[in-house]
Amino acid sequence: MSPALTMLAALAVFVITYLLIITEWINKMLAALMGGFILILMGILSQEVAFRAIDWNVIFFLIGMMLVISVLRETGVFMYVAIKTAKQARGNPLIIMLMMFVFTAVASAFLGSVTTIMILVPIAMLICHELSISALPFIITMVVASNMGGAATMIGDPPNIIIGSATKYNFLDFIFNLTPAIVFTTLASLGLIVVMYRKKLRVSMQNRAKLMSFKEENLIRNKRLLIISGLTVGVMLVLLALESVLHLGTATVSMSAGLLLVMVGNRKKVEQILINEVDWVTLFFFIGLFMIVESLVETGFIDKLAHQVLSATHDQPKPTAMAILWLSGVLSAFIDNVPFVATMIPMLERIGLVITQASQIDPIWWAMSLGTCLGGNGTLIGASANVVAAGIAKRNGIHVSFWEFTKVSAIYTVLSLLISTAYILLRYF
Amino acid sequence: MLLADFLNAKTIAFEQRILTREQAYEDCINRICQQYRHSTPKCGSSFLEAILAREQESTMAYASGIAIPHIRVEGLSDTLIGMTYLQTPLDIAGIPVDWVVLIFTDKSSSKIYLNIVAALLKLSQDPAAKARMHALADGHAVITYLRQQGIEVGRDVTIADIMVSNPFCIGPDAPLSELNSQINEHKLAMLPVVDEQMRYLGEAHILDVLKVGVPDYLMMMDDLAFLKSYEPLETLFERQNEIKVRDIMQTGMKVLTPDASIVEAVYNMIQQHRRYFSVVEKGVLVGVVTAMDIFRKVIKA
Repeated sequence: MSPALTMLAALAVFVITYLLIITEWINKMLAALMGGFILILMGILSQEVAFRAIDWNVIFFLIGMMLVISVLRETGVFMYVAIKTAKQARGNPLIIMLMMFVFTAVASAFLGSVTTIMILVPIAMLICHELSISALPFIITMVVASNMGGAATMIGDPPNIIIGSATKYNFLDFIFNLTPAIVFTTLASLGLIVVMYRKKLRVSMQNRAKLMSFKEENLIRNKRLLIISGLTVGVMLVLLALESVLHLGTATVSMSAGLLLVMVGNRKKVEQILINEVDWVTLFFFIGLFMIVESLVETGFIDKLAHQVLSATHDQPKPTAMAILWLSGVLSAFIDNVPFVATMIPMLERIGLVITQASQIDPIWWAMSLGTCLGGNGTLIGASANVVAAGIAKRNGIHVSFWEFTKVSAIYTVLSLLISTAYILLRYF
Repeated sequence: MLLADFLNAKTIAFEQRILTREQAYEDCINRICQQYRHSTPKCGSSFLEAILAREQESTMAYASGIAIPHIRVEGLSDTLIGMTYLQTPLDIAGIPVDWVVLIFTDKSSSKIYLNIVAALLKLSQDPAAKARMHALADGHAVITYLRQQGIEVGRDVTIADIMVSNPFCIGPDAPLSELNSQINEHKLAMLPVVDEQMRYLGEAHILDVLKVGVPDYLMMMDDLAFLKSYEPLETLFERQNEIKVRDIMQTGMKVLTPDASIVEAVYNMIQQHRRYFSVVEKGVLVGVVTAMDIFRKVIKA
């Protein structure tokens, strides 16, 4: 095949796979893996090159985190904090909503948004049921918080994990550059919540008494495990922060923490954990994506795309950063942000060959991270956490329609993208 | 199990000569011993004496013209069969016998022995089958014939034998209250759901009823130790007239057919952690089988 034809064939496989992922006609892992191996069968990629494209740092980092989370869940600490928070608010629904927003954002920054939603949304629904108030505003604001929080660190949302692994930026770089932006967007969102829901939420004394009768202290059954998990996670974060000195590799750090906790906490149920707690479908979805994106790199398509972007922005870092931020934000609102970031990374690497100064290329990377993570809030299908939360709500008789979700979440998205724009412009240019 | 699979063509003989009872038995013993010398080392004349001694106590000939002498061999751990088809019948206790079947069994395998005897007796009562076998004049042909006829040694117990036929069942549009009173009155943990023609639609389990009071979000939590009471569960029965069986029943569950074996039922119960199975034949509910039925009727018996 001629190079141009090979590129077209790779692009065709890529587009079809993306369509299958977006429309969910078939399972997304199946779509990604099929796309990857079809590329090898067609001779566009050799098996060797395809397998070399798989970022094992990302895969093992995620496995390690999944193991850590499986043990952390067992300690009951997340449910404990969520219920304690609601009781501290003495049943005041607006304060509960604000505190749940912050807790969801912080938890997502370290556990990832999907896990956080799966743990906290059911508790929020129970609290709302006991307080006799609608759970819908809680679900929507918590989803917004989870996508924001996930953007704050390198280990929060999968796009950041992938960016962190593919680039020279380490855990602390993410904290220094992204966390401030997220703190600003969170504060602005809290203000928006007060404006939107201040007068809408009322709770009777009788229902408040029901909430106050929760015995959250019963949830902490194994104090020893809680202390060990806390220490392990603490050490893990310190090691991640010292990555630029120690050069251990982030996957090695998370795997060590995960294996240690499973050893200590769940030695006898290892097989169950490996089957139930490690999300193999997501992992193999990523593996398929890495292979597919590699074909676009190998055939030179990404090069072409990067040049197009650069010529449109006249090689200038400022307009490039803005274009990337808003393009990422809008596109991520409609397509899964992981395949989007996987495609964008090699493109930004090409742009980095033209815009070589660190102070000028760095903001472009941060713009992409903020755009993809925050853009996930744009619509109901923008991020996995949104879809998962809508699924939980539906199974409990709360139908969340596309528009009902989007008309609220889009406000937060535009607000947070505006704040990110100001942040990037003021801080870097 | 097929009778044909217990037979060896070399131990089946067609006898034209006129023999005495002793000669007929001895020939048959010798044929078996020749074939199975390794498993019956002490094979020989002592066996004939043992058979004759037993026959003194009670005759081994049956009115249908078959004689089934039998000997238990210590440590044989097998069942060996020899057959002789006689052109000239023997006279055993006044019964004309033209088919001698000699069986060696182990001391312990009485169940298989009794089943084989039952199968042979049934066969001997069918004159056409007997005449057909006599005409074959060849051991291989006899085995082929018996296999073709599908002559079985003891029929295995199936689910149809132990299930509860005509079980209590309920329609999909019945209110939850009716289901609840059936569960309560008849102390049932599961009712099959059927339409007017008794076509199987699904099952309503007692846990499906309780689940009405426990929403999905509670099921997603890792631990409920903090929750000391939950109103929707306690007030579950207030809503029993609003909810239909259709809303809570489970569909697409594994069902058993009446000809399923006991071991298949037990396998499914263990694998799926279910103690109750609907028994369905061609889409129609014919019974219910429970782990307790199996325990009582099979294991204890």
